[in-house]
Amino acid sequence: MLFAGLRYFVGEAVTGLWRGRRSTVLSVVTIAAALFVLGIFLTVTANLDALVARWSEAAELSVYLRDDVSLAERAEVQRALRGDPLVREVQLVTRDEALARFRRDFPDLAPAVSNPQAHPFPASFEARLVSQASEGDALESLAARLRGMRGVSDVRYDRLWLQRLQSIAALVGWGGAVVGAVLALAAALTVTNVVRLALFSRRDEIQIMELVGAPLSFIKGPFVMEGILQGALGATLALGALALAISLARGRLAAAAAGLIDASSIVGLPAATHVLVVVGGMAVGCLGALLAARRLG
Amino acid sequence: MIEIEGLSKLYGRDVFALEDFSMHVGKGEFVFLTGPSGAGKSTLLRILLCQEAPTTGRVIVGGRDITRLKPREVQTYRRTVGFVFQDFKLIPGKTVFENVMFALRILGVPDVQQRRRTFQVLKWVGLQHRANAYPLELSGGEQQRVAIARALVNEPALVLADEPTGNLDPDLALEIMNLFREINSTGTTVLVATHDRELIRHVGHRAVTLDHGRLAIG
Repeated sequence: MLFAGLRYFVGEAVTGLWRGRRSTVLSVVTIAAALFVLGIFLTVTANLDALVARWSEAAELSVYLRDDVSLAERAEVQRALRGDPLVREVQLVTRDEALARFRRDFPDLAPAVSNPQAHPFPASFEARLVSQASEGDALESLAARLRGMRGVSDVRYDRLWLQRLQSIAALVGWGGAVVGAVLALAAALTVTNVVRLALFSRRDEIQIMELVGAPLSFIKGPFVMEGILQGALGATLALGALALAISLARGRLAAAAAGLIDASSIVGLPAATHVLVVVGGMAVGCLGALLAARRLG
Repeated sequence: MIEIEGLSKLYGRDVFALEDFSMHVGKGEFVFLTGPSGAGKSTLLRILLCQEAPTTGRVIVGGRDITRLKPREVQTYRRTVGFVFQDFKLIPGKTVFENVMFALRILGVPDVQQRRRTFQVLKWVGLQHRANAYPLELSGGEQQRVAIARALVNEPALVLADEPTGNLDPDLALEIMNLFREINSTGTTVLVATHDRELIRHVGHRAVTLDHGRLAIG
């Protein structure tokens, strides 16, 4: 019975959509536009998040050691770093290695450091952090603890700009959600009007259904299904347009910013989000149709 | 089958479509409801179909006061009543077969039975050969026969008809009336509203006359 009912709803809805194909196209395109904009925001947010995660992974904490640090003090600092859950990997850079790195990175300036024994480069520990390290105050307190240790002259880490980037990503996400919600509401209202037109053009049919004693769900069902199908079509169209936009963006970026940004690192939305977008579109359509059909009966 | 007592329907402040009207229709009876245009025939049928609520009075159909039904009960009640209108009220986008089968579909009758009963009733009204045609491809008489088939497919206890021959020429009108007579001969109660006195005389059943919303005497 349930299956037969669904089959009837879908069959009637498809016929109805085809019959009013001009207004169907209007509402499908409106839903697609709303979801496309939402999808763009979601994609930008997802890519910013991925970027923050990648950069967080590369983020290093440098603990500079005093020149007169004792072996025991150095070992104590190393233990403190290794024992901290924020630290993924610790590497000791001796004074000689620091000098060698300077000479390698800045060969022009290399002659300025003539005496290998009296150069200004201190030994340090370079710690790679876990990707969540820039969140919360744990990193701050680790840095404070390290600064207070004997043999440590300074602790440096880049945190502020990562936090800023994260704030921007969150802001884009929120902005997207607000714009998407407003557009989704507009799309729902378009569906409402399209379904209302369908109800009006089929008022005789509805009256006949009422007279033969059709249950309200039987009368409303096809119209609500029309809204749901419009939503699903709009969402599919939006996802197609989004995929096209991402591939175009990759091409543009590869041509314009070759060597600066890896264009292939731009990612699309995950499969689960695709499903969510389609379900969201169907929900928008369903809401619009229910609004239109609420006066029936 | 139908008990109407003290029925009044007031439109606005002082326009009575029906005024203190009472009548009785026995089970299995064939009754004509007649009177000039504006006498209140259609209003009475609309009340009997729960399309309108009376201002005062009781309407008992099959033992239940239909003026006090809840919306869900109205649906159940309407499934027991067949209706036929002057303008046929067929769904133009559905074929003859679908129009008739539709009334069974909402009852949840299994597909095979829906088809069998639809075919039987179309055969009974002599339109089995037009099953796949659309209403607008049919003549007026044929469309009315489809409407009658739809009214009968549920095997209702009561059939209401509002000017069912109003759009048809006299020969076709008689043909349609013969169908109603046949329906009545199976035990179904039939109430037909018509202003065509000639037709009533020809068919020859009890007629209740309305005049300005009241029962006309004589």
